[in-house]
Amino acid sequence: MSDSDSNPNPLENPFKSLSLNESQSIVANEAVERSANGDSVNGIASEEEEENTVGLIRAAEAQVDESSSSGVAWRENSQYEAEDFAPSSPSSSGYAGERGSSTGTSAGPIEEVGNDGIVRADSFSNAGAESAAPWVPGKRHLDEDDASISWRKRKKHFFVLSHSGKPIYSRYGDEHKLAGFSATLQAIISFVQNGGDRVKFVRAGKHQVIFLVKGPIYLVCISCTEEPYEALRGQLELIYGQMLLILTKSVNRCFEKNPKFDMTPLLGGTDAVFSSLIHSFSWNPATFLHAYTCLPLAYSTRQAAGAILQDVADSGVLFAILMCKHKVISLVGAQKASLHPDDMLLLANFVLSSESFRTSESFSPICLPRFNAMAFLYAYVHYLDVDTYLMLLTTSSDAFFHLKDCRTRIEVVLLKSNVLSEVQRSMLDGGLHVEDLPVDPSLRLGSACPHLRQDRIAPGSPNRFREVNVGIGGPSGLWHFIYRSIFLDQYVSSEFSAPLNSSNQQKRLYRAYQKLYASMHDRGSGPHKTQFRRDENYVLLCWITQDFELYAAFDPLADKALAIKTCNQVCQWVRDLENEIFLLGASPFSW
Amino acid sequence: MQLCIFDLRRGQHEGQELDKILFFFPADCSFSMQLSVIGLSEGLITFTRIFSPEAACEVIEAERHSHVFYQAEPDIWMVMVVEKNKESEAVWRSAAVQGVLKEVHSLFTMFHGSVRALLEKQPDGGLARSHLYSFIMDYLNDFFVGKKLQLPSFRDCLRERGTIQMLTIGREAAIEVQSLVRVLESSCSGNTPCNSLILFQDLLVSTTLSPDDTANLFTYAVLRLTPHALSYNMNSWSYLRKGTAASHATVHSSLPNPGSTSEEFQYSSRDTSPGRQGSGYQVPRPLKRDKWSKGKDGFLVTDIWGSDAGCLNCATPTVWLQQTGECVYLSIYQHKNLTIIILIPVSSFINGEQGISWVKQQLLQNASLKILKVEERLSRGWGGENAYHVSGYRYLLADNDRNTSRASPPGKVTTLAKKSLLALGKLREEVDLEKGRAKRDDPGHEKDLEVCIRANNNAWIIARSTRGKELYMVLEKANETLLYASDAVEQFSNRYCDGTFSID
Repeated sequence: MSDSDSNPNPLENPFKSLSLNESQSIVANEAVERSANGDSVNGIASEEEEENTVGLIRAAEAQVDESSSSGVAWRENSQYEAEDFAPSSPSSSGYAGERGSSTGTSAGPIEEVGNDGIVRADSFSNAGAESAAPWVPGKRHLDEDDASISWRKRKKHFFVLSHSGKPIYSRYGDEHKLAGFSATLQAIISFVQNGGDRVKFVRAGKHQVIFLVKGPIYLVCISCTEEPYEALRGQLELIYGQMLLILTKSVNRCFEKNPKFDMTPLLGGTDAVFSSLIHSFSWNPATFLHAYTCLPLAYSTRQAAGAILQDVADSGVLFAILMCKHKVISLVGAQKASLHPDDMLLLANFVLSSESFRTSESFSPICLPRFNAMAFLYAYVHYLDVDTYLMLLTTSSDAFFHLKDCRTRIEVVLLKSNVLSEVQRSMLDGGLHVEDLPVDPSLRLGSACPHLRQDRIAPGSPNRFREVNVGIGGPSGLWHFIYRSIFLDQYVSSEFSAPLNSSNQQKRLYRAYQKLYASMHDRGSGPHKTQFRRDENYVLLCWITQDFELYAAFDPLADKALAIKTCNQVCQWVRDLENEIFLLGASPFSW
Repeated sequence: MQLCIFDLRRGQHEGQELDKILFFFPADCSFSMQLSVIGLSEGLITFTRIFSPEAACEVIEAERHSHVFYQAEPDIWMVMVVEKNKESEAVWRSAAVQGVLKEVHSLFTMFHGSVRALLEKQPDGGLARSHLYSFIMDYLNDFFVGKKLQLPSFRDCLRERGTIQMLTIGREAAIEVQSLVRVLESSCSGNTPCNSLILFQDLLVSTTLSPDDTANLFTYAVLRLTPHALSYNMNSWSYLRKGTAASHATVHSSLPNPGSTSEEFQYSSRDTSPGRQGSGYQVPRPLKRDKWSKGKDGFLVTDIWGSDAGCLNCATPTVWLQQTGECVYLSIYQHKNLTIIILIPVSSFINGEQGISWVKQQLLQNASLKILKVEERLSRGWGGENAYHVSGYRYLLADNDRNTSRASPPGKVTTLAKKSLLALGKLREEVDLEKGRAKRDDPGHEKDLEVCIRANNNAWIIARSTRGKELYMVLEKANETLLYASDAVEQFSNRYCDGTFSID
């Protein structure tokens, strides 16, 4: 397995040798088909949900009985997760019941039904610890449709529709009210298709309309965010992947049987999953780098975590993943099984955005689209503390008790070896800060007489007396960097610090990186080796070698020669720290 | 390739959709195909206006085709559909394709006035259609290489269509040119000011027109009037046009009436309404090839605008100036490599032809000597075809405010690797997008941008944009460090751009 490539072919995947594919996909089909036929499960739920909370619980129980007897999914706790009943999306209940994502609920989540079901009470803390108001997942602006001015002015729309033009998902507005709009999108796609072609995008002023056709499912993004086409297309791919994670690709068969099949019920209650994924498109570099990031930890601490996960993996667990928010603590795969960073992103997003996983241990069917898009795996998910969670993935639908035991063993070891407290400390300390970049003596000398770039400003320039001591970032005007290790499929990104304080500034830098990434990885002429880009906001430097990719942002007045030197120092620094910031060869994973 | 022009105000009722179409290439394309192209275009214009009312559809990118849009006049759209064939030559910037549409429309308007005005003159559209048809077909003729239409591709990324190329002259020469310009102006009838353009070879020496009008006339001059253009058959003036001669027959045969210039033109191929059948129009074809020649007196003559029909006024060509909306006579004098275009307002003479010959006489009397001297001086200083080659550099320098550009000679650009050109094409596309953004966000404020890419074939691909000026550069066989590339740009900037792109 020399293949650390980011595109493992599911067909060649060694997972096949576990001979579970067939039975898994049957299960998946059952799940999908039953609701496709609109049988009683959906019926009960949607009627019941109009009632009070007691009714909700009863309905849920009814569902649980039915689905567990059909063997679709095993559940430990027969109470239904009330949170998934968003009254504003009438058919939402069907999905969760079908999928069998279950949790023990307390009274808490039920009370949330009293909310309008759009904004959930739980806080989504990934969004950027620095920003004052945490971003909250869930659907917004449900009252809008394509006739609303406000809807038309939204910066970034995402739509999923079926090939017959039926709406499946819309980021803003009520899908049902957008049926006409959806039909228009379908008409555009099929008009071009009838001419023997395939439409990729349309550009109009600031706006881009990006189309992605995945069999019977059409995905469309309408955006005026000025992100490059490649980036937006990648985001549509991820949204599609997130759908597969919930449903598997066998949902296509429903469309084969009935082209007018209505998929919305299958995704009911997953608004938060999609909205948090879409939100991550504006802060999480993993969405365009196709790499994951680790929580910085002492080598021995990560080793200790890895060892116990490895133990468990040897007992029939396909993947054992320990994460803190969206950062990996440790990760172990069974022999030869490798996990694509995009799958990890989608899985983590799924878990982090579903409140149900936080409240108790869960056992839920999920599909890893890059691993095997046709089959469900089963994920045992348990939060060890408020941010740290363990995911054990298996192919066996009746492994719950085994995984529960595994989890207990893991938890004991992690507590004993202080891993969890180390994790919390690392969370508090944060990652790499550009201010801490060690500089060699010659450079230090330069920066001692403050400040490098001031030397370059011509006398009389208005910038001459600019206050440079506030928020200057690291040496030579270094503001931020991302280092991606190609062999490890991992990246490390420095913490945001002054002058990148506001979330708007951070988002702008994120988009600048995204643009730089697209420019460097151009399909026709890339990948390029180096790029220097200066505009009024930044100096950006990108450097791609066989081993790594470095993206660095500097003050727009930064000196070229010093910036280059600083980039070399960043690379050296990262290499010096790699034991702590990366997960190294812990398993056959990716090697 | 397909090229269509349609009017969104026409053919609004079912069954009348064909009435929208003002031009379609190729003409033998079935009506259903034509309607399908226009249907999609119109659909997307409407669709994109939902979100972007101020700027409708510019481009549709599909796997096998690109549709490039240009809104030529309110509700009058030009759409070019270009096919991406498997040979990877078919890579272009949409702005470059849009440049073609813009150019042909500007030239059309210069000679015939706006399409809308023609439609208003004759609401059934026959007049506009026949003018568009002959004009655009003559224009496209230049793009044929053999039987293939060769559109601007990534290989042209070091050129900028629609800009003017200037001759650099010394101080002494500039003074002489200035005095010549004054003499030219005084040769016209005293009360109405006339304008002039002076070209040396295919380069502009002086102009008294606005940048847009200068660009249009300059383009036309280089296409049809300069000594190169006149001797076109013997000596193709540009590498792009090589092999075009062979294609004449192909295209002309597809024109309805190849023999005559100002011809009885029937728009029969798409004439659907019976009222239009058989009605013909006098359509001058200013882009028709080989119709200009040099007369004994040094003035260029043509029968494009007719000479026989007993109509005295129409023999001398006229054009519309964009800036003033004025109709002016076009009079061209040529001495060796010097081409002088004089524009005299039609309104300044009661009897046009007489007036023009009087001006010509005046000019020969007053300016002959000066013209000789200027031509001589410019010829002496002229560095030849590769005058603007800078060794080691392949570059394009464009000034958006003055609408000018200068670039490495085409012959030198062909030495670049395909990869380098592809990478530059792509980078230019990025810069185009940034420019568009900057223009929308804050029209008065030009963004500064500096991009320096080391491509994987080790060429440096460079773009600089500052204060309305742009510089694109490819450096092959250059040192690997970024600082080397920056120094190279700095040196170039200091030497050839008055330090515009220098950092300090």
